[in-house]
Amino acid sequence: MFFHIVLERNMQLHPRHFGRHLRDNLVAKLVKDVEGTCSGRHGFVVAITGIENVGKGLIRDGTGFVTFPVKYQCVVFRPFKGEILEAVVTMVNKMGFFAEAGPVQIFVSNHLIPDDMEFQSGDMPNYTTSDGSVKIQKDSEVRLKIIGTRVDATEIFCIGTIKDDFLGVINDPVTS
Amino acid sequence: MSGEEEENAAELKIGDEFLKAKCLMNCEVAVILEHKYEQLQQMSDDPLNQVSQVFEKSLQYVKRFSRYKNPDAVRQVREILSRYQLAEFELCVLGNLCPETVEEAIAMVPSIKTKGRAHDDEAIEKMLNDLSLIKKFE
Repeated sequence: MFFHIVLERNMQLHPRHFGRHLRDNLVAKLVKDVEGTCSGRHGFVVAITGIENVGKGLIRDGTGFVTFPVKYQCVVFRPFKGEILEAVVTMVNKMGFFAEAGPVQIFVSNHLIPDDMEFQSGDMPNYTTSDGSVKIQKDSEVRLKIIGTRVDATEIFCIGTIKDDFLGVINDPVTS
Repeated sequence: MSGEEEENAAELKIGDEFLKAKCLMNCEVAVILEHKYEQLQQMSDDPLNQVSQVFEKSLQYVKRFSRYKNPDAVRQVREILSRYQLAEFELCVLGNLCPETVEEAIAMVPSIKTKGRAHDDEAIEKMLNDLSLIKKFE
């Protein structure tokens, strides 16, 4: 899910940036440092939408660098266990398939794909029901439920399932 | 972290910080990101080089999965859903997935049927009807 939240960060600024454009430099550096990063707590920072306030700077002993506490509003994407969302299939293999929902990767293991769907190898590997009516392949859109998340320093990775009511393919790239 | 272990969106356990935060539907994120992208476009010739991969992927994703395209409809969706005493998170899941039946809505957002909440099937049905009307007249 996407959220609009306020975060705070201490920004260190080199003395050469002091002057009329101090604030602009500070904001530019913030955008460069923060956008595109990911933390386990807040998820992916997609875009900074505004600066709430810039606190009083503190000169560091010895270096001349100044630290400013900056409060900023941003759009973040944070997946939650139990959340249901839509995703695009990016890769299919016999272990299951990978899907992407915005910045996050989700793996759906073949144990969590309905039992009546069989893996078919070939140019376009896919999972298909025995009657061929439903097919999951690259670029399919699926609705899935996140059942687990793994967080490391720079990425969040999810495990999902489509083995539940109202989950599964929502659009087939072949038929639509 | 013990808080992490209890996380379960189906029961609306998403941590205090996110529960109080403003949730955004995909269509709202699309409006925000497209606006920002246009701003970047005006400043440089090659905006794709300026944005992070996370930004680019998110923009593609929300464009693909936005149920409502025009900003007025987006505003209406939020307004209508906010009449039903939903949590922000529930509101956005409903707005993103646009369930068609009451059972589907409950499967998508199990927390709307938990004890102490005033949502009977009738109220949910009315809410879904209101939503589909916006879609129809968009």
